Amino acid sequence: MTAIQFGVFSVGDVTPDPTTGRTPTEAERIRATVVIAKKAEEVGLDVFATGEHHNPPFVPSSPTTLLGYIAAQSERLILSTSTTLITTNDPVKIAEDFAVLQHLSEGRTDLMLGRGNTGPVYPWFGQDIRDAIPLTVEHYRLLRRLWREEVVDWEGKFRTPLQGFTLAPRPLDDVPPFVWHGSIRTPEIAELAAYYGDGFFANHIFWPSSHTRRMVQTFRRRFEYHGHGSSAQAIVGLGGQVFMRRNSQDAVREFRPYFDNAPVYGHGPSLEEFTAQTPLTVGTPEQVIERTLGFRDYVGDYQRQLFLTDHAGLPLKTVLEQLDLLGEEVVPVLRKEFAIGRSAEVPDAPTHQSLLAAKLAAEAEPSDSDSRVKGLTK
Amino acid sequence: MITKLTIISGGLREPSSTRLLADRLDASVRTELAGLGLKTESFWVDLRPLGRQIMDAMLTGLVAPALESAFETVASSDAVIAVTPAFNASFSGLFKSFFDVLPAELLSDMPVLIGATGGTERHSLILEHSLRPMFSYMHAIVSPTGVYAATEDFGQSSALGQRIAKASADFGRLIQSCGVHQRRDVFAEELTSMEQLLGGRPASQT
Repeated sequence: MTAIQFGVFSVGDVTPDPTTGRTPTEAERIRATVVIAKKAEEVGLDVFATGEHHNPPFVPSSPTTLLGYIAAQSERLILSTSTTLITTNDPVKIAEDFAVLQHLSEGRTDLMLGRGNTGPVYPWFGQDIRDAIPLTVEHYRLLRRLWREEVVDWEGKFRTPLQGFTLAPRPLDDVPPFVWHGSIRTPEIAELAAYYGDGFFANHIFWPSSHTRRMVQTFRRRFEYHGHGSSAQAIVGLGGQVFMRRNSQDAVREFRPYFDNAPVYGHGPSLEEFTAQTPLTVGTPEQVIERTLGFRDYVGDYQRQLFLTDHAGLPLKTVLEQLDLLGEEVVPVLRKEFAIGRSAEVPDAPTHQSLLAAKLAAEAEPSDSDSRVKGLTK
Repeated sequence: MITKLTIISGGLREPSSTRLLADRLDASVRTELAGLGLKTESFWVDLRPLGRQIMDAMLTGLVAPALESAFETVASSDAVIAVTPAFNASFSGLFKSFFDVLPAELLSDMPVLIGATGGTERHSLILEHSLRPMFSYMHAIVSPTGVYAATEDFGQSSALGQRIAKASADFGRLIQSCGVHQRRDVFAEELTSMEQLLGGRPASQT
């Protein structure tokens, strides 16, 4: 069992390398993503997650196609998303796609749901961005039923009704993929995750740690309120971004042009301001270790840490070097250090095997103790 | 109980006529509140030194510590006086940008006195066609009388002082009747519970 899973998450942006002016083709970017995912497994990371976008300059519009291809070329890696758009995707299609991926990957599948913040994507898929929260609530509720009930009769506000619908294939071992809910600043998403006893993933890239702390605290408090266990037992994941070289000054010098021209934060705050005020760490592996170990001071012991490494036009070779450093020098130390002082009460990161074991254990118990697994049947 | 008054000044130069108007509004409102038996403490948010941070927040969403502290000052106020120079028949871009990056809920139910300065009195309607609609949109309670000061008002002795006194009297009564401002905090408030979310409330309310 893995107490805390480490991995990488990819936005999938096609961005010119500011040091050469060269823009990779879409084909190059997609193939590079596969190479990065395989490398993540090779260096001992646990998770690869892809974003979902439906407009240039991004390539990952079809995440389960990408993840299925990676699944075929990997053995241990958990395939996930960051995020899957629960608002504009048909929940029936999400249920089908991820059930197939679950079977193909033999259970190495989970997903992170998000709303998406690109306005036009909503009308392109026949939705209205002002309904983002109600869409999330209704679609997710249906998704849960499709994975848990054999025959579904359903009627809602946003999707055409279903009569006598049975999802095919059924989830692997009748255990739905574990669901994370991702958010930067919307408390309702923490509430949604807490209500169902799912995982909550704090983006942790753009906002100061104080905001992440409040979001995670809210989630933990509501997780306990909704009766899934103590606040320390809530399943929490964090994003983060790093750039490393053996020498701290080399890291800063090499990363600066990518930072200064990055689509999301370029031409704004300086690299120094951004690293001081957000979790971004640019420096040596030791500095990354120290910073990352500090995360649990404000979110508590958690289950998943994903790093953003392949963005802003960084060349593939550089990204692979980052993964080498993560796998060889950073993550082994983090695994060891995070284990120290971790309370026995804190659950390990959920996997298909752990969920299956929990399901079998629950089924073996007398039915009057069903309240313990309330969250699984909602 | 002390009434917290925050003055937001978009003046750019030193000395600034915008800051000058803001000073006089502050003094006059405090006098008015003292007459109503209210103790007042004033806090200043000058936008010029925050210029880069406001733009960084606009471009990247990252709120630097000094800007965060300005937000906190506004959030903990009971009333706000907001004064901008008139640029191209509207408020200055810096002034607008501050309110564009300010978390929208902070001005909800906040009594606001609006003021503006300009080279000539021809721009005086910016109070009504730029400032008032923006603050209404942010759910502030905008005082009915604003104050516009043209450059020549600072030379003449009479009219500006009277307008400031009239606006302050109106604003004082507004602050008195609004009382202590209830701060909105999306985390501290009881969350919209999942039961409510599942109850299918209209989208416009969520």
